[in-house]
Amino acid sequence: MTDVDANKLAKTPLHEEHIALGGKMVPFAGFDMPVQYSAGALKEYRIVRGDGAGLFDISHMGQVRISGVDSLKFLQYVTTNDVSKLVDGQVQYSGLLNTQGTFIDDITTYKISDNEYYLCINAANRHKDVAHLQKKAANFDVAVTDESDDTTLLALQGAKAQSMLQPLVDTDLESIGYYNFAQVHVNGKAAIISRTGYTGEDGFEVYIPNSIAVEVWRQLLAGGAAPIGLAARDMLRTEMGYALYGHEISASVTPVEAKLMWITRLEKGDFIGRDAVVARKSDGPRKRLIALKLTGRGIPREHYKVYVDGKESGEITSGMHSPMAGGVALAYVKPEHAESGELSVVIRNKQIPAERTTTPFVRSNVRR
Amino acid sequence: MTIPVDLKYTKEHEWVRIGGDVATFGISDHAQEALGDIVFVELPEVGRTVDAGEACAVVESVKAVSDMYAPVAGKVIEVNGALETSPEQVNTDPYGTGWIAKVKMSGDTVELLSDDEYNTYLEE
Repeated sequence: MTDVDANKLAKTPLHEEHIALGGKMVPFAGFDMPVQYSAGALKEYRIVRGDGAGLFDISHMGQVRISGVDSLKFLQYVTTNDVSKLVDGQVQYSGLLNTQGTFIDDITTYKISDNEYYLCINAANRHKDVAHLQKKAANFDVAVTDESDDTTLLALQGAKAQSMLQPLVDTDLESIGYYNFAQVHVNGKAAIISRTGYTGEDGFEVYIPNSIAVEVWRQLLAGGAAPIGLAARDMLRTEMGYALYGHEISASVTPVEAKLMWITRLEKGDFIGRDAVVARKSDGPRKRLIALKLTGRGIPREHYKVYVDGKESGEITSGMHSPMAGGVALAYVKPEHAESGELSVVIRNKQIPAERTTTPFVRSNVRR
Repeated sequence: MTIPVDLKYTKEHEWVRIGGDVATFGISDHAQEALGDIVFVELPEVGRTVDAGEACAVVESVKAVSDMYAPVAGKVIEVNGALETSPEQVNTDPYGTGWIAKVKMSGDTVELLSDDEYNTYLEE
């Protein structure tokens, strides 16, 4: 049982739908969200990895519109990636850092036009992000608008995602490439659809007004999509080795530790946190993120200790039993242990042997 | 949810089948349903002596790790090794192929409930 008062939790526009589908509701980032539906997490997982498609309500995530003539200049300053590289209709994975160079959040940036961008941010960080962005916007000619409460965000992921989504959309989805998006109409209403996701499967994220949330949700289910809860979503993202805020990324790590220098473009010029990242890069990371696979029996889970050569070196940030790859995990270890030393994971006071591996832990089927 | 009449139950949601001086046990249908998809079972070692109420096995679902407590005192004489490769049997057949272990009883037991008592306990 949880001591979080369910009445104080926020609900997405699809809350009643989740209950009707047998959703087991749990508190997540301040929302009452389905951890699984009646089929169970493993069946849900298999549908997405198999030949079907899974439908996720991720409306708890936040959306912020950035508009005005200084939009590019502003985003170059507040985000880590090089926004000048984006063309209209392109999506970019990025970070928001504080002046210490550690993460406020990880985000995606959508370029609508030179004067308009759209950010997707984590639910748990929404108010912190918006306050930060609004504060920093004071020195720029931009407007920062939090559209989270008006927007329903669905993810449709899996081999059949495109064929199931197409009937509802007025644009040929085939024309949207990986990490690209289009401004379309869904059931006649303005919407944004990107070929993005958090599962390693082909699929889309669909931003629609709340007014059509229920009808679109029902249409996609009627078209054959299966509802997928948070447990399967976490399995799917962990198998890809994707970072999750609060786990691999937090206010205590910089992109140097989190292996996210690929989204941190030091050459683009000044941005918040840059000096600290440069300093950390030259001093060397305090710890390093590794991918591991158990060679002994057991399930590596978050917060379990990782030992190297019999001594404590770090801990797991995300771990799971992968139906395809076995016991796999992401963990932070001491920098000198990132590449060498005998690894083990402490499970119930026993050191279970493990080996270093690479991510994704299972094959990604995203469309490159 | 099923609660077979011929079994005893514990407040930790285990079931026990007692035949002579051997107790076979597993987790109840209610427990497997609450845990969700079970993906790993750590069995006790054969030959281990357990006290009644002592943690002796671990059942892990996708999201949770759950200790299992020996309902009776005694010596573990057999474990269900099939669960190492197909732990989902705890979900699909908790009172049958999903059994966990057999203990040769030495006397002590935790408080054991009848099916009716267990049903009432679940409703409380």
